[in-house]
Amino acid sequence: MTEKEKYRQVCREAAATGIALLLLIAFWLLAGFGLSGSMATVFRLPIWAAASTVGVWIFAIVLVWGLTKWVFKDMDLEEDRHD
Amino acid sequence: MIETGRPEALLPLALFMAVMLGVSFFVRWQARTGEGGFLRQYFVGNRDLGGFVLAMTTVATYSSVSSFVGGPGMAWSVGFGWIYMAVVQVTAVFLVLGIFGKRVALLARKFGAVTVVDILRRRFRSDALAATAAFIIVLFFCATMTAQFVGGAKLFAAVTGYSYELGLVLFGLAVVVYTTIGGFRAVAITDALCAIMMMIGIVLLFFYVLEMGGGYGAIMDHIATNQPKMLEPFSGGAMPAGLYLTQWILVGICTIALPQSVVRGISYRDTKGLHRAMIIGTVVVGFMNIGVNFTGILAHGVLTGPAESYGGIDNIIPSTIATVMPPTLIGLAIVGPIAASISTISSLLLVGSSAIVKDVYLHYREKREKTTSDAALRRLSMAVTAILGAAVFLIALTPPSLIWLINMFAFGGLETAFFWTLLLGLFWRRANRLGAFLSMGGGTVVYCLAQGLGFKIMGLHQITIGISLSLILFLIGSYLGKPEPKEVLREFFPE
Repeated sequence: MTEKEKYRQVCREAAATGIALLLLIAFWLLAGFGLSGSMATVFRLPIWAAASTVGVWIFAIVLVWGLTKWVFKDMDLEEDRHD
Repeated sequence: MIETGRPEALLPLALFMAVMLGVSFFVRWQARTGEGGFLRQYFVGNRDLGGFVLAMTTVATYSSVSSFVGGPGMAWSVGFGWIYMAVVQVTAVFLVLGIFGKRVALLARKFGAVTVVDILRRRFRSDALAATAAFIIVLFFCATMTAQFVGGAKLFAAVTGYSYELGLVLFGLAVVVYTTIGGFRAVAITDALCAIMMMIGIVLLFFYVLEMGGGYGAIMDHIATNQPKMLEPFSGGAMPAGLYLTQWILVGICTIALPQSVVRGISYRDTKGLHRAMIIGTVVVGFMNIGVNFTGILAHGVLTGPAESYGGIDNIIPSTIATVMPPTLIGLAIVGPIAASISTISSLLLVGSSAIVKDVYLHYREKREKTTSDAALRRLSMAVTAILGAAVFLIALTPPSLIWLINMFAFGGLETAFFWTLLLGLFWRRANRLGAFLSMGGGTVVYCLAQGLGFKIMGLHQITIGISLSLILFLIGSYLGKPEPKEVLREFFPE
């Protein structure tokens, strides 16, 4: 990658990380406040308490895994002298 | 003073600290060839961290003693709403590494930078801005470090029966010594060991709380019958919506700008490691946050009285450890929280020292075209680290009474100062010196004033004032002032 391409890729990755954050916030809202009216239980916990803690954690791991698999690219961090 | 405590409680901590010192001497011996120059070696570990250590050092630096003591104590009092709020910290590793990880790694290699302030100085061509940033770092870091020392030593005293001072000497002196000797690489490796000990501590405590509390089912039944509000997200008013909002800002989103986290972006070897660190870090930070706070809630199985009967919220976890752990394991159980404390102190100490040595002193010398030998840099860096550590250690011996307030205050102050300056500075071409200066200076001053006067808007934590105002000031400055010169923009935004 040239310096310019690296810069563009880094911006793309930063923006994708921002989008992942928005998705996580949406999931967090739905899993917690969204489910707080439900009487269902999981492992003796109200479903909101399970979904908004362990659920959010697992969702975050999947998100980050997706980011690193599909958006983030390997690049040489040393300066490219040929561009 | 004759110490009367549980001798068996001292041994694991003493052993752990000996291992930390051993690591630092080993690292120092390994680095004797001096490859890459002393400063790069000492302050960013020669940019050689792998994914696992990068993840662990980022998590361990971020997780402080209050994650282990005050936090789960509140979870005990409030219930699942507290974990719901604390889980926003799963963002603490992937956001900072995803947004700044490669950006600062590339820029640091381009300019030979070893600190975040180095990069800001280059971007905004301003010594005054760099000096302000270094001053803010040293000031707020000293406050945070003192709070970590105090928190760790108080926990030590409450659980082992030995004195606060003995605890402080045992782990406090050791952390200052191993940071001074080993520099960044020792800090990163010891941080990784600390993170592992934190997880072991959480699992141990979780297991014994369940056992002493009569099992998971019995404890949950007890909570559902006696404390039903703990099963609601707002906890009957104890967890207002505003608190959720400000925690997202304070311990979630804005943590990406904490200089002690961003500097980790300068320290890793390759992008594969960075990607791995983002995943490992998210797994570990979630495990710790949920695990420790869940344990706090389950402690209702063993601590059934009101909080006052245990000496307040901050004593819930020390009381739980003392109640549930078998005497032979008490020593091991306190290593986790103390590890949380020292892993934060070591990183702050080093970044604080780099701010003084590299960002202020060395820059001053270079400007006067004076060269400094590697040997002189070595002596100076170690001396500054040791003196800064010793100063904080001495303050912690007779701690100011408002230390916990100072700790939270410092967190918000660092975020106000650095959030927009770093985010907009590194990703927005229009960002200029005036905007950065107004944002960092004005935002931080107003945040401090609002904290000092207790002024809040809609009852929200003052970080909301600091972060909003610093954005407004940044935009005003950037549109009123001149853009940075083309040659600077070409370096930062290649087109």
